[in-house]
Amino acid sequence: MSDRKPPRTTLQKLLSRFHFGVTLFAVALSGLAIMLAGVAALRGYADRNIELAAQLGAYGVEPALVFRDPQAAREGIEPLTHIPGIAQLRILDDRGALLTEWVSPQPDPAPLLTRIFFPEPFALPVRRNGSRIGTIEISGDSSTLLDYVRIGLLAGLICLIVTGLGTVALARRFEYELVKPLGEIASVAHDVRLHRRFDKRVQSLGIAELDRLGGDINALLDELQGWQGHMESEHAMLAHRASHDMLTAMPNRAAFDEQLAARIEGAATRRSRFALLFIDVDNFKAANDGFGHAAGDAVLVALAARIRAVLRRADFAARIGGDEFAVIAEPVDARADAEELALRICNAVAEPVALTDGEDYRPAVSVGVAIYPDDGGDGTALLTVADSDMYAHKLSNRN
Amino acid sequence: MLASLFLIGAALATPGMTVQQASQAIVDESGGGLTEAVNRMVGGIISYVGWPGRRAGDSLTLCQVGTPRLASSLAPDIPGDRPLSLRKTSAGAVIANGGCDILYLGRLSSADRMRLVQWVRARPVLTITDDDPACLYGAMFCLAHREAGLSFSVNLDAIARGPLRVDPRVLQIGRSVS
Repeated sequence: MSDRKPPRTTLQKLLSRFHFGVTLFAVALSGLAIMLAGVAALRGYADRNIELAAQLGAYGVEPALVFRDPQAAREGIEPLTHIPGIAQLRILDDRGALLTEWVSPQPDPAPLLTRIFFPEPFALPVRRNGSRIGTIEISGDSSTLLDYVRIGLLAGLICLIVTGLGTVALARRFEYELVKPLGEIASVAHDVRLHRRFDKRVQSLGIAELDRLGGDINALLDELQGWQGHMESEHAMLAHRASHDMLTAMPNRAAFDEQLAARIEGAATRRSRFALLFIDVDNFKAANDGFGHAAGDAVLVALAARIRAVLRRADFAARIGGDEFAVIAEPVDARADAEELALRICNAVAEPVALTDGEDYRPAVSVGVAIYPDDGGDGTALLTVADSDMYAHKLSNRN
Repeated sequence: MLASLFLIGAALATPGMTVQQASQAIVDESGGGLTEAVNRMVGGIISYVGWPGRRAGDSLTLCQVGTPRLASSLAPDIPGDRPLSLRKTSAGAVIANGGCDILYLGRLSSADRMRLVQWVRARPVLTITDDDPACLYGAMFCLAHREAGLSFSVNLDAIARGPLRVDPRVLQIGRSVS
């Protein structure tokens, strides 16, 4: 997000790197341990081999040493010369003088290995009836070890590769298991933030910690959704309240002005005409005073319902004052249509209204008509014409 | 039964015709001279011989008959310091009194030698001579002084006749060289 921060890495990459490190460490450690154990075991076997050869040789050369016979000593060690892994044989008598010696004709295949495993010759004293009559010295060589070491190294390498591949595969699987649910949570959060899809929820996840996180996010989303819904209804309510009259649930003066301006604009574009009807309740003040405000309100509600009942679907009615209503009837072909509508409204509201105290009240209204564009091109003009027309009617009604 | 068969066979065969498996081993003559080499060799031979009913550490008696040719004084050097008592005696005394585990035959009259060899048969007595380089006269081990050094031969026939047990490794030393 910010340029100043160091470059980001993905969780997958991080895990992959970590896993690789751990795997390498574990494989190297176990490989080293196995190698050390193998070398120790190998050394034990090699030493034992040389020791057995020395014991065999000691038995064979014993009479030769007793009689100090080099020829017999050569024959005594002859069987040993067929044992692989022996580089040199020396038979020394009780005074340390060399009686006979044999050196393997085969060159040492790996002198380094020999130095590690047989740093010095193995010396075994030869005894006759408990007294030391000489010494047999055997130097080992690497010829028998070499195959073992080769096979061991090869097997070790194969094991390393197999272990490495297996661990990488397991690490991948683990990464997938971990990264996938995280990605799911992230995608839900993203969707909610970007598209305001508060109905989105994180699915149940296999990993307990992530599932808990998902659950928390879901709970947060529930709350957000609740707030969002509440805010929307509040907003709608406020909007309705701003544009409607609370008593009759009709649009109020402000909504009416807006509507009128829109209708004028529409009609001007279409070159059509509409009628504006101004309705005023006759003697409403007297009814209000005589029967009480509650009765007055009931009358107004009844009037609003009756006016609405007369209107067509596209027509618009609003309460623009205490006892004043306005209607926009569209379309109208001639003034006669509007006059007829006015008459119908007058008839509709003439039915008696049952008040709460059981009395009937027979309301009456006066209706004034103005036609757009005949009587004016803007709202004020139309209202003025309709108002004065209404007054004219009211006066004639009174009379 | 078996012993009597051997006796018959031995009686029929003249001493020179006795079947022999001659064996030799060369011993370096180092510092101490021939006498020491002889003592060492005799001691070595004794150490590879087992007497029936005797254990490896038991004391042995060596009877010296006649004058040794190769050693001025006989004192066998047995590996492991086995106790050994030396007795200088005569053929007649040996046959009369016995008590010898080892007979060292030096220079002898052929009649005495013959008598002793006959007497030894089937007895647990080891015979070593230094007066029979070709090992023809029936002793079990014969020392010989040659240019290469001191050597010994084994008369397998003589050993087979008696009840002594000789380590085959000693026999093999000689056998393979021959």
